Amino acid sequence: MSGVIKKDESGVYQRVVLKNAAPYHYVNVCLVLEDESTKLSAVEFKQFITSGLKSLYGEVGAALAFDVLKYNEDKRTALLRVNSRGLVKLWSSLTLLGSYQNQACAFRVLQVSPYLLALTGNSRELQLD
Amino acid sequence: MAVFMDLNLSSSSSVRSLIESAAQLGFSTVAINYVFEPSKKKQEIPTPTPITELMDQLPVVQGRSRPIRVLNRLTVVMSDSSHFRPNAAEYRSFDLLAVQPTTEKLFHAACLLYDVDIICILVTEKLPFFFKRAPVSGAVDRGVVFEVSYSAAIRDSTMRRYTIANAVCLMESCKGRNVILSSAAEKALELRGPYDVTNLGLLFGLSDKDSKEAVSSTCRSVLLHAETRKTASGIIYTMKSCSDSCDQQEAPPQSEHCEAPAAKKHKTAPADS
Repeated sequence: MSGVIKKDESGVYQRVVLKNAAPYHYVNVCLVLEDESTKLSAVEFKQFITSGLKSLYGEVGAALAFDVLKYNEDKRTALLRVNSRGLVKLWSSLTLLGSYQNQACAFRVLQVSPYLLALTGNSRELQLD
Repeated sequence: MAVFMDLNLSSSSSVRSLIESAAQLGFSTVAINYVFEPSKKKQEIPTPTPITELMDQLPVVQGRSRPIRVLNRLTVVMSDSSHFRPNAAEYRSFDLLAVQPTTEKLFHAACLLYDVDIICILVTEKLPFFFKRAPVSGAVDRGVVFEVSYSAAIRDSTMRRYTIANAVCLMESCKGRNVILSSAAEKALELRGPYDVTNLGLLFGLSDKDSKEAVSSTCRSVLLHAETRKTASGIIYTMKSCSDSCDQQEAPPQSEHCEAPAAKKHKTAPADS
């Protein structure tokens, strides 16, 4: 983390500015398939995302490091961790993925955050009265 | 902040599921697109299905607790200059009017002359012409916007190449101003969320700010432009009053005189003198 620390003359207060230094971004995604009964294991899930990266960005894109931190096989939701620099690449390849084994599919990106803690709740799922 | 809009949903059989899916993804306004190709024989200008007939109750937009707004839009695919008839009465039943020019001459005319809201950029084939700076900046000055649709890029990898190439080519001459991104989706699974589309805009050569505006505030200015198209200088607006109870009150005459807004005739005359 690169932080710019500026010390006040009096030496009492200290201002710390972090210039977007988060090394990773966390993405919460859900895979929607045309045929809801299709089962996908975590390995197949990651393989599918890698194939999407490869089709859009080639071998260099396929080498992009990302991790599947958590995968829910029933709902097909996953928590991905990716280098902040690779976020745009990963996200755009998820957007442009349109078919899985000759059936239509879509990735719904639910949440994106530089902090994992922010993904514990989703304000859009709150029931407002 | 302006709300998110998707101004192109195909008017296919699954339009109900498209509208529901768009509301779920967070789009506050969508437009159903009717395509009119005069080059094909025996084709008539389609008439839009009223929204009330389409759905009884419009779905609530996610996170907004108000129903989605649905508009109708007509796209005229032009391969000849006679295909677009200005002031045609059939065009008036649509909220938005778009053209898709296929030759450079028509593109030039669409940018500088035609009274339309949206110019569609071809995304399914390689562009047959270059975007010249003069017509593009003329269109930007007039408030006409360019539309890039992304669902072809999802369907096919060759189309994806053309979409990106044509979009990048457009951004070089318009510098990201007056561009909207829309889906042109036929199925609900071809729709993407507004933030996904914003991120996709980065791939097309838009900046962060322009990319977000392409799904929000530029779309809003299209709607306002479409409203002023029906008015005289954006001030006076005539409409047919359809109240059966009061017969005395005369409805505004639906003559040709009324079709052309007064402002269009006196464009050269100064407004204040």
